[in-house]
Amino acid sequence: MLVFAASDKGGTGRSVTSANLAYQRALTGDHVAYVDFDFGSPTAAAVFDVPGAMRGTEERGLHSYLEGDVTEPARIDVWRQTEHPLLRARPNQSGRLVLFPGDAGGGEFATGEDALERCADLLLRLHGEFDLVVVDLSAGRSYAVDMVLAATAHPRMRYVPFRWLVFHRWTRQHVIAASGLVHKENGIIKGGVDRGHDEQTLRDNIRFVRAAVPDPESPLWAQGSPAQAAWMQACDEALRRLAAEHRIGDSVVLGVVPLEPILQWREQLITEEDVLATQIANKETLEALEEIARRLTDDSHWGRP
Amino acid sequence: MTDAVFRETTAEPRTQAVPLSHLSLELGHFYMEDFEAGPEHLRHHFDRVRPWVEAARTVAADRAGGRRPRISTCFLIDDYFTRFSSPAELVPLLLAEADRAGLVVDYLARESACADAGKVPVAEAVAGRLVEEPPPGSYGIRPPATQTGWLANGERSPVARAPQAMKKATAWQPPKETAARRHSVFLDVELWSDTPGGHRTWSCPFLAAVWQLARLGLLRNQGEPVLVPHPHTASGFPEDWDELPPLIRLNPRADPFAAYRTCSVLPNRFLPVEHAVRVILDQTEVDPEALRQVTERSAREAVAVPDSVADRVSYVFYAGA
Amino acid sequence: MRPGESAPHAVLACGEVRTCLLPAQQALDSRAAAQLLGLRADERVLLSERPNLYGRSPDILTGVDCPLPSANGSRVRAVGTVAARASLTEGRVLQSSAYFRVPAAGPDHRRPWGHYLVRPGVVEPFGTLPREAVAQGLLAGGRHGDLDVGLIAGGLLTRLLRHPLLDQRPPLKSRPTRLRWVALPADPGDGPSIERFTLAEDELRTVRLRVPEDTRSADVAGLCDDLALHDWLLTTVVRILDGIRLGSAPPPARPRPTAEDDRPPVVRALRPAVDHLLHLWMPRARVAEQLAPLWDVLEERPGFTRQWQTLVQRIRDQLTLHAIPSPHREVEPVP
Repeated sequence: MLVFAASDKGGTGRSVTSANLAYQRALTGDHVAYVDFDFGSPTAAAVFDVPGAMRGTEERGLHSYLEGDVTEPARIDVWRQTEHPLLRARPNQSGRLVLFPGDAGGGEFATGEDALERCADLLLRLHGEFDLVVVDLSAGRSYAVDMVLAATAHPRMRYVPFRWLVFHRWTRQHVIAASGLVHKENGIIKGGVDRGHDEQTLRDNIRFVRAAVPDPESPLWAQGSPAQAAWMQACDEALRRLAAEHRIGDSVVLGVVPLEPILQWREQLITEEDVLATQIANKETLEALEEIARRLTDDSHWGRP
Repeated sequence: MTDAVFRETTAEPRTQAVPLSHLSLELGHFYMEDFEAGPEHLRHHFDRVRPWVEAARTVAADRAGGRRPRISTCFLIDDYFTRFSSPAELVPLLLAEADRAGLVVDYLARESACADAGKVPVAEAVAGRLVEEPPPGSYGIRPPATQTGWLANGERSPVARAPQAMKKATAWQPPKETAARRHSVFLDVELWSDTPGGHRTWSCPFLAAVWQLARLGLLRNQGEPVLVPHPHTASGFPEDWDELPPLIRLNPRADPFAAYRTCSVLPNRFLPVEHAVRVILDQTEVDPEALRQVTERSAREAVAVPDSVADRVSYVFYAGA
Repeated sequence: MRPGESAPHAVLACGEVRTCLLPAQQALDSRAAAQLLGLRADERVLLSERPNLYGRSPDILTGVDCPLPSANGSRVRAVGTVAARASLTEGRVLQSSAYFRVPAAGPDHRRPWGHYLVRPGVVEPFGTLPREAVAQGLLAGGRHGDLDVGLIAGGLLTRLLRHPLLDQRPPLKSRPTRLRWVALPADPGDGPSIERFTLAEDELRTVRLRVPEDTRSADVAGLCDDLALHDWLLTTVVRILDGIRLGSAPPPARPRPTAEDDRPPVVRALRPAVDHLLHLWMPRARVAEQLAPLWDVLEERPGFTRQWQTLVQRIRDQLTLHAIPSPHREVEPVP
């Protein structure tokens, strides 16, 4: 299964959330690949805490691979190479977790026919090796989105199942932007159909993840006045209506990640330790991530809306 | 394979040998417009060719070490790019003019046979044997400047690829001949062109390179010789070019068609084409077994044959058309 | 003898084999295998049905002109061609194998390309070859820009994997492996020997051999293809058994079974091994007679076939236990 993580805007928590989903799936025994197609800002290594392993991959990452300068992109075994002390003790029965980083210092680039073929080669190879392949895509209508839409429409990839997660924050601007990325001109659906996808199939395989959503019930806001609470409630209602009008209402939402203070400070994997022992992360956040990770392959969440 | 008792024929490739002369001498390579120019044009051509034929025979006799050199002559007619008249009309005319100049055409070939020899897609097979000459620094990765359908004798100018955002585009660099001596003579050869309908037209230099390999006895298809001469038994020649065998032996007493070396006597307008042929031959890996057979045979006869296939080919370019 | 196969004598041969599961739902029959492996229109694909189904492509060449990797930092430039070929065993396991040999010395300038083309699979050094340093360098992998025979094997594999015959639906998840080898001449009078067989990183194996001087490098490559095939089989089956969970709780994260597939997860995980891998074990099937004894060493220690038989037995035991309906089982099967 391939899972593409997209967002219209930056700052949606797309990278850190998709990295956490990959991590959660690996914990449950899946072999997981995390592919950093955020070409303009290849920083996944920071989330997995593998900066040391990135040395020497400057010219061997996904940029170099797709441009044909190397035939195999660098891979980083997260359990073995992370500097995060908890991750290094790979839990028993967990699957492999392998990061495919971009070139450090790499930038956005125009992808051509050759890059497309190499992209299909890579996705097929990873599909043959891993249970789950999470592909983090540059924000907006990017070359990365374009390339994977074309690659998944390639005849060679006709039997490879894929799903899209579109991340957005819970604000008016983000809701409208996320809907636009999927439904509007040059969006994922229209662009996908132009590249040979079946519209209905593609539509059925797109779900939304609301990230950094403040929960009015949360203790974070407990100090607020009743007026503030009422205002938040009203905003939430209004956003729900707005989302529904823009065809990204609850029926196509795979999950909601609550606003998590530690993620505001530092993009990182949230471990059980962070919740139970040091209690720096909220239990709700971890549960939300676990649940979304589970739903990735739960067909009952991918029925037609 | 470890058991000598048990055999599987499909598991044991074998390659047939072909008979070989010392020299394959090409008396001409005519396009339909050459024939359109009338019999005088042919007469003029053969008059120019004759003295060089004598010279080539003398050299071959020297190389044969005193024994009678086996020399076969051939003539190539282009029926691939354009067609004109019919074999029934043109071939007797050609033979009569050669005879008038005191020359004997042993073998006659059609150019389209270098594209498809009967059922064998020989040009496609040769294209599959190209091994590009690596410029210094080639460590195993396919060079980025590879262009399908073209073959160069060196490195092309880098393609102006859109760089990654905020990276510098590379400045222009000249192309470079790999075997250059100080300065380059860079040549980039178009091997074929495809129509939008998917039909492939092989270029004249590419077919000429196939023609040279045929004359050197180095073409095989699944181990079988390609372009085997067809004896001429009928009294006349057919009305349609397609009915003429790809390679026909006109002289029943001729020495073998294929030879250790080739020599072609051509007007000097063929110079660029034959330069391109050399670039192609220099980067074609011929069937190793066929190559071995030639090496073995020539060693038995104590005839020196150059290692490099391109060096087995020679030319005489005469002035004018 | 081929031109170039005779003089000058090769004093070092090296190669790399990539081994992977063919990404197709059904194994290919001989005819399809011939199509897949037909890298050249005019050359036959070698096809064999005894003792197992096997196809091998003709060799194709890649030109190189670059330094040879070396352990002591000396940068010896070398020019020539690397040969590569692909093979398919039982229509199921695909291998690409690139190899070359190096003479003891060569001229200190580059010759016309035609010279190298009539010596397929020979890479000539400029000057004298520092044999031991280069042998070590080749096994350890060179610096960027050094001759990389793995790239050539990988390039051929990529080309084959793009073939339209393949539906890209592999019946099980597996990882490709790489086996890199060097062969140095044995002392006069000595037979061939394996000096070292190392499981390096996850997917890399290295083998260092000694072979009599008249051994063809294609035969050494054939032996190493055979070693790589069986090492891949062991690796893959070990991983399948590693991945299965005991007891009856299905791993929550695996792709959910389809409605009709209500077999226990252990059975679902092991069944593809039975369908596609267990019949492939056949060491020495195509190893040149002279080199076949090298297998005996590996059979002795670590005991390739012994490990294989144990794995096969475990799989069969598991499947047998699961064939018994659950209520009649007193204990849950434990692999």
